[in-house]
Parts: sequence; C-alpha cells; structure tokens
Amino acid sequence: MEEVLRSLALFRPETALTIGLLLVVVADSIGGTWRNAAVRVLSLASLVAALGFAAQLQAAGAEGSLFSGMIVVDPLGTFFKIILILASLLVVAVFSFRNSRELHGLGQGEFHALILGLTLSNLLLAAANDLVMLYLSLEMVSITSYVMVAYLKGDRMSNEASLKYLLFGAASTGAMVYGLSLLYGLTGTTSLPQVRDVLSTGIPGDQLGLFVATLLIVAGFGFKIAAVPFHFWCPDVYQGAATPVTALLSVAPKAAGFGIVLRFFYGTYALPVTGAWDLSGIMSWQGLLILLSVLTMTLGNIAALTQNDMKRLLAYSSIAHAGYILMGVVALSDAGARSLLIYLLAYLFMNLGAFLVVTLVHLHDGTFDLRDYPGLYRRAPLLTLAMGFFMLSLVGIPPLVGFLGKLYVFGAVINMGPGYYWYATVGALNAAIAGFYYLRVLKVMIIDEGNEDKPPLELAFADRAWLVLFAAANLLPLLVWSRIDEWAKGALTLYAGR
Amino acid sequence: MTAVDYVFWVFAILTVGSAAVVVSARSLIYSAFALLFTFFGVAGLYVLLGADFLAAAQLLIYVGGILVLLLFGVMLTHKIYDLNLRTEKTQLLPGLIIATGLFIIVAAVAFKTQWPQAARLPAPTTHEIGRMFLGEYLLAFEAASVLLLVALIGAAMIVRRKKDA
Amino acid sequence: MTTGLEHYLLVSGALLSLGILGLLTRRNAVNVLMSIELILNSANINLVAFSRYGAGNVNGQVFAVFVIVVAAAEVAVALAIVLTMYRLRRTPNLDDADILKG
Repeated sequence: MEEVLRSLALFRPETALTIGLLLVVVADSIGGTWRNAAVRVLSLASLVAALGFAAQLQAAGAEGSLFSGMIVVDPLGTFFKIILILASLLVVAVFSFRNSRELHGLGQGEFHALILGLTLSNLLLAAANDLVMLYLSLEMVSITSYVMVAYLKGDRMSNEASLKYLLFGAASTGAMVYGLSLLYGLTGTTSLPQVRDVLSTGIPGDQLGLFVATLLIVAGFGFKIAAVPFHFWCPDVYQGAATPVTALLSVAPKAAGFGIVLRFFYGTYALPVTGAWDLSGIMSWQGLLILLSVLTMTLGNIAALTQNDMKRLLAYSSIAHAGYILMGVVALSDAGARSLLIYLLAYLFMNLGAFLVVTLVHLHDGTFDLRDYPGLYRRAPLLTLAMGFFMLSLVGIPPLVGFLGKLYVFGAVINMGPGYYWYATVGALNAAIAGFYYLRVLKVMIIDEGNEDKPPLELAFADRAWLVLFAAANLLPLLVWSRIDEWAKGALTLYAGR
Repeated sequence: MTAVDYVFWVFAILTVGSAAVVVSARSLIYSAFALLFTFFGVAGLYVLLGADFLAAAQLLIYVGGILVLLLFGVMLTHKIYDLNLRTEKTQLLPGLIIATGLFIIVAAVAFKTQWPQAARLPAPTTHEIGRMFLGEYLLAFEAASVLLLVALIGAAMIVRRKKDA
Repeated sequence: MTTGLEHYLLVSGALLSLGILGLLTRRNAVNVLMSIELILNSANINLVAFSRYGAGNVNGQVFAVFVIVVAAAEVAVALAIVLTMYRLRRTPNLDDADILKG
C-alpha cells in the first residue's frame, strides 16, 4: 500500500489524464446543450494539468521505479512525456471541430475521451519497465489509434484504412508478443532491468532463441514507428483518417514508440557503461538497425516524390523522418540519444504545422490534392508563408528547427567514427531528395498558375494565430538552442533499477 | 508413455489439427467452429501445464466471449465475399514456404536453446495470480481496465447508427 | 518420452506458423482475424509452458491473462469495424476491394 501511495506522488500526469478521461465520459453521457463545450474544456484542462505536472517532474529531476517496477520515472521518460502531452494538447487546442471539415457533425465526447486515452497510453509506453507493461501499453496505444482512425464511420476509405491498420498492427504485435514470450522463457522474468541482468551474464548455449526473440520484438517496434518494412499501413491510414487524427498519429505514437525503443535497446540490451551493443553475440544489431534506417529513409523519400495527395505525401515524409530518427538510436551514445530527443521536439512543430495548413485548405476548398493548391500565395499569403516555414524546416534548412534536428542526428552518426561517414552521407543525400517534394509543394502554392477565380481564404483569427505561433516555433528555437541542448543533456539518465 | 503423455498428444493434435482447418477451410463457419476446437485444445494444454485459472479464463473469455463475438460477426455479415481484402488470387505456395521455414526456425529455437531449468510443479494458481494482480502487476491491471473502457467506447461509437451533433 | 518443455514449444510453434500462413493467404478479414488469434494463442502457450518448466514462477501466466484481455479488446474493435464495412459496402455495384493496394 505504501508503495502505491509513494508511486502515486510521481504519477501525477497520468492521474490527471485518467481523471480527465473519466470526467469527459461522464460529462458526455449527462448530455445537455453544453455538452460539447464542456467536454472540450475538460479535455484541455486535464492536458494542461498533465503538462504542468510533467514539467514539475522534469524540473525536480524525479527518478524512481513506480508500482513495483512496472514503470519508471526518469529524466528521459519525462522529456518524452512532455513531448507527448504537448502533441495532444496542441492537436486538441488547434484542431477544433470548427476548423476541420471532416469532423463536422460527429460526436465530440468520444473524440476527446479517445485523445485522453491515447495520451495516457503514450505516457505509459514511454515509461514501461516491464514486458507486461510494454505489451499492454503498446496495445493500448494501438487500439486507441485504430478506433480514432475509424472515427469517420460513414467514410469508406476511413473504414478500410482502420481495418487495414488493425489487422497489420495486430499481426505485428502478435509476433512481438511471441518474441516477448521467448524472452521471458530465456530470462525467467518480465522485469526489464532483471532481463538486462540476465542478458549481461550471458545466455548459455545457442543464441538462436535470443536472436529470434529480438527480431520479433523489433517487428512490433517497427510497426509502431512505421519503419520499413513495417510501414505499409502508414499512407492509407494517414489518408483515411481525419486530418487532426493523422496529425496526432504522425507525432505522438511515433514518439512513444521511439521512447520505448530507446529504453529497450539502451536500457536492456546494451550496457551503457561498456557500450556493448552486441549482447547476443550473434549478429550486429547496429547493422540491422542501420539497414532498417537506410531503407526507411530512402523508401519514404522516393515514394513521396510522386504523391499528389497531401496527406499521403506527409505520410511518406513521416516514414522518412523515422529513418533519420533511427540514426539517433544507431549511434549508441549520449550524443545519439540527445539527437533523437531534439529531432522529435523539432518534428512535433514541423509536422503539426504542416497538417494545420492542410486542414485549413481542406476546410475552405474541400481538397487534399496538391494539384488544387496553385494560387494559394495570392489567396492566403499568411498560410503560404507559414507553410514555407514548415516545408523548409522539414527539409532541414537553417536557421529553422528542422535543421537543428538533422544537425544533431548527423553529428551523432559522424561522431561514431570514419566507418560511419557513408551512413551520414546517405542521410544527407536523402535530405536532398526530400527537398524536391517539399519545395514542390511551395512551388505549386506560390508559382503555379491556377484558381484565379477562387476568392481569398478567410481564416479565423484563432487559425491565423496558431499559424503564426507554429511558424515562430519553427524559427525561434535556434536562438535558444544552447538551452535546449542542455535540457536534452540533462534528460539522458535512464533509471536502471527495478 | 504415461497417461499424461497420451493426453498431451490428444490435446496437441486437437489444437494443431483444428488450427490447420481454421486457415484452410473454405467456409467461414467451418473456420469459426474449428477455432472453437483450437481454443478447447489450448485450454486442455493449460490444464496439463498446471495453469488451472488460465484454462478457465481461456474457456470463459476466448470461447465464451471472443468466439461468440466472431460468430455473431460472421452471421451478421452473411454475404461474406463483400469483406474480401485481396482481389488477386493469393498464392498458396509462397505462404506455405514462409510458414514452413518459420516452423523450422522455431523448432530449432525450441530444441537448441538451453532453457533455464527452474520448474514450477503444478499447484493451484488462482491465489498467486490474484496476489500478483493486486501486488506486482497492479498498474498493468488498472491500465487494462482503461484499455477495456476505451475499446468499449470505441467499438460502441463505431457501430452506433444514430446521428449525433 | 516424457512431455517436456520442447513439446509444448513445438505445438506453439505450429500454431504460430499456421497463424502466419492464414495471415498471408486468407482473403477474408474475419479469417485474417482468426489467424491473428492463433498467433496470440501460440504466444500464450509459450508463456504458460515457460512458467511451468523454465521460469518457475506464475508471471508467465499473469502475462498470458493480459494477452487474453488485449485480444478480447482487439476483436471487439475489429468486429465493429467489419460490421461498419459490411454496412457501407452493401450497394449493388461493388468496387474492388483495394485495401492492400500500394
């Protein structure tokens, strides 16, 4: 009992979200004309409270194992929590049912309940310290995502996309749980620190079991971060889901997935002290991850070159970005982990901004097709300017925040030694290829002829404010990058105990 | 071979045989009923392994819940061909090769690995599992309840017909 | 021959392979769902077998209970989506299912 009470003190963000979730469900079932407004306010309030608590934990440098080792609190986890809650908060605040044409007329209560549930699951995933908690929270994130993708229940594409997402995801996590069961069999425990202890003393005899187990677990992680070859669900799901949902899915579950990848590989499979990647002794995990990363970047970028649907384009773009972020995992070092954190932070603002623009265009013109974008420079100058920031940031052009992310990631790889220069070069080449399709979007919006007869876009004040804020978020971090750097450095401690 | 071994083989063949029918039967109803026998076989294996609580849970949840739900789903969508995911004829051979290869790998893992030898003799498990739910795995237990809440809300919302504002 | 750990692992391995086979070759969504259930059951058999023979504690069984819970939630959501798909598709002119395209 004391353990539970002690743990609850460090569990405040999640508690705030759970209470918010329950209140939203109750408020929605009570009904009444104020239902929608109340639900939105409750959702925002609980997300703000959770963010506040998480910031408090970060400032205090809280560290410890909670609930008998099910989850841990450490600076790394808290960094991820802040990103995850911020992503949900921004999506709820920015994409209301007012400015998303797809969500008009649908129930808001369930939507906010699902978002709060998704955020809670993301937080649990980023902090999981036990095989059971890992699997359970991964599935919580996944199942909530399936439901959110299926939200537009009258839309056939949305329905097909959610079914495809579900079947693909269930299969990947099914394979993953088989791998987890093998890991349990090899180590006799479900607690990650204890797994690490057993693995560090070495598994006697044949290593094939560990190898197969890890491969299967990587399959589950790969699905969550949409790495090749587990990415097939991504474009259809991003296209079929309502754009606010896509915006959230492109950032939050992916970030949570990277959180658990970091924790699993750094904390369990590698000994940070010796830097031993190769606990199994069978194959180079680094090699496998490099291969995955290169395939992911390249395939994502090449596929995006021919896309005309903005949501599919951004889907492939986010697949490519997962490849860059994997570079941070590969560089098993503090620099690598730090680069991963900063890239995710940058990615949050770039991606949400781009999706906001796509939503606003859809709201006014009813289209997601890039070929309908010409003339936006004339009709919506602020929108185009903001999109310029987002696209250039995604390419990685200084002085925007996307450049900061790429700088760190490439730097971490280069730090690994001359043997890895080719890897960083591949990354840079990919960024150059990506430039083609990001700049193409801008070219269409600014230079292309068309749509002369369409009226200018009337943007609500709130939308314009958010566009400016996101653009600023893309531009300003470079001014305070030393502070961000220090913050990321401080966030690198992983709690190693049970 | 002792009696226990015989019983094991009965349940093993029941499980694997029914599973083979599940993936190969032409009619969806046949697959669903074969799945029923698979679940029964697995429950029998659990009993042999001394997992009494789990065997009962398997029967209650998998057979009594999931399978019934699957059967409802099958019956309610009786024009089955509407739900096809693939239009092209899926080749059986590549799938068979992959599946056989996978089985060989898994069998190799099973036989070649030196598994730890701590055995737990069959004993009633319910008490201990209950203790773990409210002790070590408390957070997972509570999180699972949130999962079920969200799945419930989600499934109900997806299926509900009436328009809401 | 005494039944040992390896035999149970073989059974679960067979279930896993059959599940993957079903996943790759079946056309109907509900069939694919059933194959996924086979995979989850195979993992469960692993967990319980290890709990009995290899690990010597009930943690594997507790893990297995959670796998069952997750499977139930997944099937519920899956069938909700399948039911909606059936409702949306019940028009005379049936387009080709293009779910797995590209």
